[in-house]
Amino acid sequence: MTIRILASVLALTALSGAAQAHAALDRANPLVGSTVASAPRTVSLTFTERLEPAFSTVRVENASGARVDQGKAQVDSGSRNVLRVGLKPLPPGSYKVFWKVLSVDTHTTEGSFSFTVGR
Amino acid sequence: MSRSILCQAALAVVAFLLPASASAHCFVGARFLPATLNVDDPCVADELSLPTVSRFKNGDDPSARQTDISAEFSKRITDTFGVSVGTTWTHLRPPGAPGVSGFQNVETSFKWQALTVPQHEFVMSVALNVEWGGTGAQSIGAERFNTYTPTLFFGKGFGDLPQGAGWLRAFAVTGQVGYAIPGRRSTLNSIDIDPDTGAITADIEYHPRVLVWGGSLQYSMPYLKSNIVDLGLPDFFNRLMPIVEVALQTPVANTITSGTVTTGTINPGVIWTGNYFQVAAEAIIPVNRASGTGVGGMVQLHFYLDDIFPKSIGRPIFASSPLPGSFGR
Repeated sequence: MTIRILASVLALTALSGAAQAHAALDRANPLVGSTVASAPRTVSLTFTERLEPAFSTVRVENASGARVDQGKAQVDSGSRNVLRVGLKPLPPGSYKVFWKVLSVDTHTTEGSFSFTVGR
Repeated sequence: MSRSILCQAALAVVAFLLPASASAHCFVGARFLPATLNVDDPCVADELSLPTVSRFKNGDDPSARQTDISAEFSKRITDTFGVSVGTTWTHLRPPGAPGVSGFQNVETSFKWQALTVPQHEFVMSVALNVEWGGTGAQSIGAERFNTYTPTLFFGKGFGDLPQGAGWLRAFAVTGQVGYAIPGRRSTLNSIDIDPDTGAITADIEYHPRVLVWGGSLQYSMPYLKSNIVDLGLPDFFNRLMPIVEVALQTPVANTITSGTVTTGTINPGVIWTGNYFQVAAEAIIPVNRASGTGVGGMVQLHFYLDDIFPKSIGRPIFASSPLPGSFGR
């Protein structure tokens, strides 16, 4: 009986086209916690799920808390799991990226990470 | 007003209505607290643990080999209130004696996720757990009376430590403190008359009130990768959560026949978290002889129903906001 139930759930999981998991950060550019030699011009975040553009945001701050991003983040039109935001010219220092996204099934996830621009 | 502006406005209203707990299974800010095996996690969720299988030598004297196979279904009624129901099939094999099998009593839990503080990765819940007496088999020790356990749960991630704490920020703890109140103070097992003296002797078992306490210390590789440093590890390792659980019971009242010795187990292990399910394996190490002998083990397959069925059984019955038609397209 247990095996039947288990098999049914697994089958439904495999077949469910509607299934959407929480959007987790899969990779970032610059890398989470990394030090880069030259200042990046954008922050690019790749998630494990497609995003709702209207409610997916990225904010980048310098060590004193001032915003250094160029405003509205954009979800890639071709790949809806990639979120990008442009950056102002960054002098060497530490920066923190704050993101909050809504995946297409209404699950909200958020996180933050740091990167450093070297001298 | 253009159609796109109307659409944006509608989505804005929806976003405003979406509760902080819309992330469902135990996300608290950037922290994900996985479902734990021996102590319950501090959130309400739409989940299915099927099966949890454990094998160990219990605290009987002599120790019997015990195999448990259990299932638990959890359902959110509202965004912050949930109900779960579970049962366990048990096989006992005492040394030199035939084995016995049967179901334990059915258990239900009514839980309210009372406090969620995303920026501090803190969550707290209160619950009433009820073990329904008489629904299980007496042959494997299921009681004939109900037991009520009001319980406080909490979870705390350490992501809000200063950046200098580095990798330590991936740690999290969960905990629970409950007070189990049996619905019956005592059970008269037998009455005997001494054939020599004629004296009447009674075998009475007193059912103690028990402090149920424990918790977990866990290290989140997913958190490390997404929030602290991406080490470029293979995806398998980035989904692991090493964990140590501790589950203890201390009789504190009506202890005439039970004594007051604390029993329980320590469970080191690891949880692998996928997008739709998690798999866990833990050892079972008794804290003393009264808790068992040797080292046992348990494994669990656990499904995130809110991710598998986000538009149907994975949603609260009375969600605070409707599922907008534009989502999930």
